[in-house]
Amino acid sequence: MRRRDFLIAGSAAAAGLHTQPADAFVREGKRKILVFSGGQPVPLLDPHVKYDYSTRMMQQSIYDALTKYIDNPASIVPWLAKSWETSADGPTWTFHLVENAKFHNGDPVDAEAVRFSFERGLKLNKGVAWMLKDYLDPAGIKVVDPHTVAFTLKSVFAGFLSFMPWWFIVNPKEVMAHAENGDYGQKYLTDHAAGSGPFKIRRWDPQAVMDLAAVPDYWKGWPEGDAKRPAGIIYQVIREPAPRKSALLRGEVDMVTDMTPQDYDQLGKTPGIKVSSNPGMTPFTLMMNTRHGPTADLNFRKALAWAIDYKAFLQVENGAAKLMDSPFPNAMAGHIAVPDMPHRDLAKARAYLAKTKWPKGGIGIDYVYVAGLEVERQIGLAVLSSLQPLDIKVNIVGMPWPTLVARGTNPETGPAMIAVYVTPVSTDPSVVAAQYTSSAAGSYWGMHHLADPELDKMVEAARVEPDQKQRMAAYAEIQKRIVADQPAIFGMMEDRRWAMRDDVRGFVFCPVRLTGEVDFYPMWVAGK
Amino acid sequence: MLGFVARRLGLMVLTLAGLVVITFLVSNVAPADPAMLAAGPDATPDMVATIRHEYGLDRPLPVQFLRYVAGLAQGRLGRSVVTGHAVTEDLAIFLPATLELVLLGMALAVGFGMPLGMWAAVRRDRAVDHLARVFAVSGMALPEFWIGLLLLLVFSGWLGWLPIGGQLSVADAPPAPITGMVLVDALLRGQFVLFGAALRHAILPAVVISLPALASVVRINRAEMIEVLQSDYITAARAHGVAPARIVSVLALKNAMLPTLAMIGLRFGWMLGSSVLVETVFDWPGIGLYAVNSAASADFKPVMGTTLVIGVLFMLANLLVDIAYGWLDPRVREAGE
Repeated sequence: MRRRDFLIAGSAAAAGLHTQPADAFVREGKRKILVFSGGQPVPLLDPHVKYDYSTRMMQQSIYDALTKYIDNPASIVPWLAKSWETSADGPTWTFHLVENAKFHNGDPVDAEAVRFSFERGLKLNKGVAWMLKDYLDPAGIKVVDPHTVAFTLKSVFAGFLSFMPWWFIVNPKEVMAHAENGDYGQKYLTDHAAGSGPFKIRRWDPQAVMDLAAVPDYWKGWPEGDAKRPAGIIYQVIREPAPRKSALLRGEVDMVTDMTPQDYDQLGKTPGIKVSSNPGMTPFTLMMNTRHGPTADLNFRKALAWAIDYKAFLQVENGAAKLMDSPFPNAMAGHIAVPDMPHRDLAKARAYLAKTKWPKGGIGIDYVYVAGLEVERQIGLAVLSSLQPLDIKVNIVGMPWPTLVARGTNPETGPAMIAVYVTPVSTDPSVVAAQYTSSAAGSYWGMHHLADPELDKMVEAARVEPDQKQRMAAYAEIQKRIVADQPAIFGMMEDRRWAMRDDVRGFVFCPVRLTGEVDFYPMWVAGK
Repeated sequence: MLGFVARRLGLMVLTLAGLVVITFLVSNVAPADPAMLAAGPDATPDMVATIRHEYGLDRPLPVQFLRYVAGLAQGRLGRSVVTGHAVTEDLAIFLPATLELVLLGMALAVGFGMPLGMWAAVRRDRAVDHLARVFAVSGMALPEFWIGLLLLLVFSGWLGWLPIGGQLSVADAPPAPITGMVLVDALLRGQFVLFGAALRHAILPAVVISLPALASVVRINRAEMIEVLQSDYITAARAHGVAPARIVSVLALKNAMLPTLAMIGLRFGWMLGSSVLVETVFDWPGIGLYAVNSAASADFKPVMGTTLVIGVLFMLANLLVDIAYGWLDPRVREAGE
């Protein structure tokens, strides 16, 4: 290197080192890029293999489904399907596709792509497969014509439509061109996309950054017109809430999620930042082991449920939550406020406890939560305090997530109480009802290990009931039955919150999304 | 010398075999089901079974172990249950970032630690010496994740002087890879502004990862220098009128740095291990963060692979130090032979 070059290099490096205030916005040319930050990475993109909030947020940006959940209260709107109908006897659903949809490589989104995508999801038997595999075989999916596809279910299933937004359509030609050893293109779709959505991958570092570019000629157009269309979106992983908050305050990111209640409250008072707070649909419950230990006794479970100071839960959330009045979230179809839902009543709690082997208490139980989740730890302290009058000692145990699941899913090792969040992926009540059937035992959402044959029958009957009015009536009874069984302490539904700069526009909350998930399609960044 | 190196290599192979057995056993006694976690919370038992079968997790443990060892012999470290990626490919992507961080940290530790240790020894029991000793104890004692968060809060959050985390800002595209190390590649590509930006991102994590090693270098170098400066040959040199600067930086340093050199090899391995914490705090996309993300979902093959790679690098660093030690000190070489 010549001396002159060396000096130029040194000056340039010094310029880079010089501390500068963060740019107002990340831009590409004149257009702005919306930068969103959360704490969870996106390990893979295949829409038929995995979903969690960060992964699905990217999948929804890159892919389209037949229908989509929007708005609050949530409604299902046509997307790749412009209309649909069911057969008179119920089990056949026919979808008519829009004719102008195309994949990012220009291939048309046709009925064969839809058939292939559902077949792929069912055959891989991963990710979204659980939603339909009991009702739909690959052989039941027929291409009627290039823009019509029909699904014939094995039995009537009223909740079928509610799962459609979760099944994204992939380009069969692109996927199969990259298939290896019969993997249905799984390896390829881990870090590549074959979708038709409003964004496509520009850069993907699974540990740090997902950089998506907007598709200017997106087949559905842009909600606010091309002028306001962002150049793209960036999902930046910042694992710790404190640096994430700093990044928002410094203008390095435009929007954040995964913050503590205290952080949101503080950010909400900061000029230039707004906090969107919305009623959540994710029940926070304390699942109780109904097979083993003292909580196997219904009276003991009832005693705990009537002793808990539920208002303390709201205090932990700084008021940004709503207490549950049913095992079903409020936004769920068929939700009722269950009469005689437990609240703090120590006389009643003592009466139930008197019917157990520990009429005067004098027993210790474990409360297990995910280590590092401060809200869950503080709830544990509230539980500990609530049960002191019954002389029930609570041992608060924080565990890594894998250990907690391994322990909880085995009834022999499952603790008395486990703090659990479960986000329903549909407004159809069959989803939550199924979590309390005996077939759920051994799964994450069945860590209560409840086995009530009568409840099982009620849930199965409601699932196939074709008459919607009778179906909802059946689910009302199911909610009462679940509360009577008391497999969990039904706690609260946290508000879903995001903090964003004032200039972020177009955000629309929809409860049927995973916690923290945002639909980027209608969003853009105003300001200069 | 050749016999010395061959013996060391033989020991390395044995140690590596032990490491393979231990990591495999630890991963399999851990109370977690990787297939269940990879399948997701909504998965049915048969979906979990699909994943278990696909990754051979339904086979008896001895069979799994033999398949793993057979894969290792062919340079394969298994596949991630979460992504399906080959661990070897993932490590090839993430390792350069960790090496970059560790080498920067080591440069800081040696570059600042040795002069500080020498200075403290020369100024024994004076203010500089006391400060150096306080620093040495603090650097060893304070947890890195805590120091990391504190520095982030001060220099990024309050003062706004340095970036929040990561290797580059989201607006900067990394240079086209040559070595995979962003700093090195930016220089090689002539992208000097990008190099400056990458350096700003590297400052805090490199300082944090260097602190324990820096403290050790200061402590050991100080102690050795004090001892050497009291030896007869130094007294003789002083009597012959050799300049004090030459006595300290040439005559004394060569003998005093032998234990420091051994410690550097040891600390290199420690730094690789520390990358797990430091990379998590600073969102540095290296193998430490890869291991943490994998462990969070009980995805054990990446964790085992990361452990093996760190183990091998640790052993290689120590081998190099042993060779350098033998080269610098004939007594060691002769004892080895």
